[in-house]
Amino acid sequence: MKLLLIEDEKALATSIQNYFQRENFICEWAQDYESAIEKINIYKYDCVLVDIMLPDGDGLDAVRELKRKFPETGIIIISAKNSLDDRIEGLNLGSDDYLTKPFHLSELNARVQAVIRRRNFQGNQQIRFGKIIVEPQEHFVSVDTQEIILTRKEYDLLIYLIANKNRVLTKESIAEHLWGDDADLMDNFDFIYTHIKNLRKKLMDKGCPDYLRSIYGVGYKFSEQ
Amino acid sequence: MKLLAQILRYQLVTSMVVLFLGAGLFYVSVRYLIDREANKELFQSQVKVRWQLKHLETLPVYILQLGDSLQLEPVRYPGRSFIRETSMLNLAENEFQPYRQLVFYERALGQWYRVTISKMLLQRQHLMEAVVMTVTFIVTVMLISLLVLNSWLSKRLWKPFYKTLGKLDAYQIQQHETLTFEPQKTLEFDQLNQSVTHLTSRVTTAYQNLKEFTENASHEIQTPLAVILSKIEGLFQDESLTESQLVALSSVSEAANRLGRLNQALLLLTKIENRQFLAGTDPINLVPIINSKLRDLEDLIDQRELSIQTDLQPFGPVIHPALAEILVNNLLTNAIRHNVEKGKIIIILRERILSVRNTGKPLNANPEQLFERFRKESTLSASLGLGLALVKTICEVNGQNLKYDIDNEWHVLTVSW
Repeated sequence: MKLLLIEDEKALATSIQNYFQRENFICEWAQDYESAIEKINIYKYDCVLVDIMLPDGDGLDAVRELKRKFPETGIIIISAKNSLDDRIEGLNLGSDDYLTKPFHLSELNARVQAVIRRRNFQGNQQIRFGKIIVEPQEHFVSVDTQEIILTRKEYDLLIYLIANKNRVLTKESIAEHLWGDDADLMDNFDFIYTHIKNLRKKLMDKGCPDYLRSIYGVGYKFSEQ
Repeated sequence: MKLLAQILRYQLVTSMVVLFLGAGLFYVSVRYLIDREANKELFQSQVKVRWQLKHLETLPVYILQLGDSLQLEPVRYPGRSFIRETSMLNLAENEFQPYRQLVFYERALGQWYRVTISKMLLQRQHLMEAVVMTVTFIVTVMLISLLVLNSWLSKRLWKPFYKTLGKLDAYQIQQHETLTFEPQKTLEFDQLNQSVTHLTSRVTTAYQNLKEFTENASHEIQTPLAVILSKIEGLFQDESLTESQLVALSSVSEAANRLGRLNQALLLLTKIENRQFLAGTDPINLVPIINSKLRDLEDLIDQRELSIQTDLQPFGPVIHPALAEILVNNLLTNAIRHNVEKGKIIIILRERILSVRNTGKPLNANPEQLFERFRKESTLSASLGLGLALVKTICEVNGQNLKYDIDNEWHVLTVSW
């Protein structure tokens, strides 16, 4: 998978690049509008991450250019502006998602994977992790061909964990993924624990190994080892 | 009270005072003139009487044709002559009328006489009537002409003023317009218009600057925060970190997250206060917003085993849809956060009122203080303390009324419009 990151903040760009390289993605970086347009015109990407505030141009123009050239490329706007107008304009231009800074890299990762899945396979691709098979189109989850009935939150949690497999996930990032702005309401993260516990139990009941490891003081890690 | 009416009131009071003083003065001076005239006539009569009395032997008495009444009384000794006023019965008209009398002593045929010449002061009697009538007439005419003049003035002269006032009323800062006016003949109104033009242009610039600052602050703070968070997340993946390092890193991450949310919330508050969310013209139906929010919050409600009762009719205030969502969200989350285990929430929506009641612990603070920023009843660290401040600001900006009541165990937040 090939990504293009258009972002003027070097430190942030490096973090994002490192993160996606670990996922075995090729993540190219354009620091300004000019080099972004250059890259868009030469290469084809699976997904492009655009910061709409660039020193030498408007990221939305890059989105327009991209839509003209490669309409099937996934686009995620990352912006410091949480303004409704920008959000609506970005989505109207055909971007797939809009993420406000600051964000968790794990959240960005989950969204990039969702966009690529939707774009490349019309969402029909199965997601596999160990013994778990998820069919995103039908929200169908199975272990060893046995169906597992999950609540909406448990399903979202599972997809998030698989998207960020082999990584340490903080409790805040899980909370924000599941509840968005309502995550503020969590007076403690007992909440996530309840969902994690239920999900783990449902999976293990069907003979799935315990993939979920709790990391003391931080959060969780979903991995096969 | 209209300025013109106030001016009219002062004008009337002043002119009344002047008129009555003038009338008094007029009365006094005319009376003085009349008296002087009467005295003069009396003294002339005196001269005639004296002359006739001196020639009494040679002249018949009937020559005393003075037109006034004359009285002669024999006295032993003469006294001093004087003038006095008296009222006497006028038989013809059967009423007392004022007379002026000159009394003097004269010797005739070896006998002293006290002579009294009386003169009726007819003019004086009419004077009062004339003065009263004139004053009444002037007052009436003046009143009518002042009223007519004022209504004309308010239509003609004050027209530019009302025009300016109308423009100011309709002025909306978000539209970044500077009010301009045509030149006026009236100096004051021209000055007023110029001041308004200067003021609105300054305000517009200041507003623009503030807005830019807000947006810039958002960008400038969010980006470093994004860097911090991304670096922390990268560090978490480092297998070589010890447990205590992870715990420390986790605290840093939590604080940075909190800072991000705080920044967002404060920016939102500023944007609302800057009235960047303009209400449309139609009321927003709050029912779907409340229902979808309740679905989103299902987990939290279930976890705390809260029971929810709703009684919703499809109404709502005129408000920007994004603000309606924040309003509902913050009211509901507040009711959940400050509830007790297995508590209750009752949501009632009527034509002009939305009320959210929740069971809760007794308050330590004055309820109104809970609307202040960063005011927290509990020390739950996840709370930003901005929830109700946001609700309050939204209500203030959109002209809704927000009230916090405590009814035994019930905490009631009511928004009315």
